[in-house]
Amino acid sequence: MGGSSLRRLNARLVTVGVLLVLAWGGIGYRLVVVQALEADVYADHGLDQRLQREILAADRGTIFDRDGRELAVTVDSVTFYANPSEIEDPTTVARLLAPLLHQNMLDVLDAISGEGTFAYVARQLERDDADRVIAARLPGIYYFTEPKRVYPMGELTGHVIGFVQADDNQGLEGLEYQYDDSLSGVPGELLVERDPHGRTIPQGEYQVVPAEPGSDLVLTIKTEIQFAAAEALQRAIDRTGAKGGSIVVVDPATGEILAMVNLPTFDPNDRSDADPAAFRNRAVTDVFEPGSTQKVITISAALEAGIADPDTIFEIPTTIERGETVFRDSTTHPSELTVTGIVAHSSNLGTITLGEMLGAKELHRNLYAFGLGQPSGVDFPGEASGLLRPSEEWCAVNCVASTSIGYGVSVTTLQMAMVYATVANDGVWVQPHLVKEIVDGKGTRVAVEPLQRRVIDAATALSMRLMLEEVVSGGTGGYAAVAGYRVGGKTGTTEKYLIDEQRYSEDDVVASFIGMGPIDEPRVVVAVVLDSPRQDDSGGKGAAPVFAEVALAALHQLGVPPDDR
Amino acid sequence: MTAPARPMAAPGMVGAGFRVEIAHRSGHRAGWQAWTLIGITVTAAFFLMIWSRIALDQTAFQLQEIESQTASAEARYWDLRLEAARLQAPARIIEAAATMGMVYPETLRTIEVAGLGGDGSETEERWVDLKAVLGAQP
Repeated sequence: MGGSSLRRLNARLVTVGVLLVLAWGGIGYRLVVVQALEADVYADHGLDQRLQREILAADRGTIFDRDGRELAVTVDSVTFYANPSEIEDPTTVARLLAPLLHQNMLDVLDAISGEGTFAYVARQLERDDADRVIAARLPGIYYFTEPKRVYPMGELTGHVIGFVQADDNQGLEGLEYQYDDSLSGVPGELLVERDPHGRTIPQGEYQVVPAEPGSDLVLTIKTEIQFAAAEALQRAIDRTGAKGGSIVVVDPATGEILAMVNLPTFDPNDRSDADPAAFRNRAVTDVFEPGSTQKVITISAALEAGIADPDTIFEIPTTIERGETVFRDSTTHPSELTVTGIVAHSSNLGTITLGEMLGAKELHRNLYAFGLGQPSGVDFPGEASGLLRPSEEWCAVNCVASTSIGYGVSVTTLQMAMVYATVANDGVWVQPHLVKEIVDGKGTRVAVEPLQRRVIDAATALSMRLMLEEVVSGGTGGYAAVAGYRVGGKTGTTEKYLIDEQRYSEDDVVASFIGMGPIDEPRVVVAVVLDSPRQDDSGGKGAAPVFAEVALAALHQLGVPPDDR
Repeated sequence: MTAPARPMAAPGMVGAGFRVEIAHRSGHRAGWQAWTLIGITVTAAFFLMIWSRIALDQTAFQLQEIESQTASAEARYWDLRLEAARLQAPARIIEAAATMGMVYPETLRTIEVAGLGGDGSETEERWVDLKAVLGAQP
């Protein structure tokens, strides 16, 4: 071996040696950096990959009726989604999946054929339906559980309970919206270390702040009465051809709303085909002119003012002209009527006479005291206050006359129910409410204490009740008679005011009957309002029979013994 | 005088040196035993630590499983409550009653027992009275 080749060999060895030293030095340096200098940083990186911060959803409170029957419940549901990139044969998967989901195959195919890695296939299926899909183990189809709000009574309580948004269970309508803060609770938080398979790493990081469950609501609604009212209203609509209607049943002593029904209605479990207009709880949000049902306020105000007593006789003219308006009675009656007779025959002219004796200011004061022109404060969103202009703004010519008989003012069905509840409750107005108790997550029950105020004297209220009984026993409300019970009430038929056209309709009326029973010590007040009936288009023929049905059912359900026992 | 015969000492088996050597070996063995003992103890502690770790992990997994079962049972509980609520719906009951041939009575009779329905400790006795009245009905 020559000297030159030995030098080349040495040079190569030195080169390799240097490279090796550099490589090992680099590795050593990196090792020191990773393991010593920046160890904390990498440890934190690793921990971040394993640590998961999860929001623990609070259980939404349950809504019960007054007897503890569930009206809104939250259950676990299963949502299916697809990862389209994992599905090689979408047509076959759609063909197998569609019947399991009770969906159209093309819709399913459309959902699972899209771009991307996530597409909802079916949301919030109940467990029994979901199990069949899970068992099929279709490629690219996955699922997770999420809470779902379910309403066991469906459309029966749809207007009262309302509904929640499917994504986050936030209340959107009705009591779900009104009491959303109480029902929602407070979400918790879980900090946990998980392995790549999502399993909790034992003895790893684990911190939990438990969620506080939402409060339960116990409503004043009695499901049986609600059902009886809904059935009776549907029969009335079928019979009269009305566009819709509302019924409110109230316990006058407590202000508890025992039933609140509107038709048309909707099923909160499936709103896909529902008309959004049907979501309105019309008994609370929509107004109408009360007409003759409001005469009870004018008459009781006259009694309170000492202008007349139930037996005072008035001569009733054939017409009353105020400006261009000519008022007439729509019923035939003797030319002289007592105040009781005026109520029984629903005499416009007699009531106008008493109203004008009262004067605008006093009439307005009484209307307001009975709750007109202001929200009742019921625990329900979107309550209308109705219209009652200050007496100073009333026209000088005919406003007192028209207001005396329920024109020129607007009210909700609930407001009018509470007017009669005041008469039924010996003259004391009690704030209506739908929630009886709120029960928090620890079981503490907080009862709702409604506001109360005296409106008229107890003696006046009793006189009014006896007059209202005459309406049923010998006046315009004969169809409201309830077998076995002494009941009373008042009919109302008003031409429907067309707001858009600023005129009264020639065809459509609002037919109403509001009454109570038993008359000596009323336990229920029932308000029935029919919108635009085609047959039996008066309060006496259209709405009074509905009152009779609902009042009988309510009295039976409350265990009220008949008067004729 | 002839010296008594005695065996020649084998190489390495010199009297006094033998004892010393034994003493030396005994100390070495004791040290070896001590180290062995320490080794066994350390090994045992090591395995004990691993075993306890595994036991803790197993318990944690069992706990997770139990929590999962609890959640399932709770979900089932709410499913059943929902089902019970649906079964109590008046519309379903009326339909079922109609299927069974039940009708609402045309005439109603009311039986009134004085004091029944009021508060107080005598309610049970009043119910007894009512049962007696009902029992006397045709």
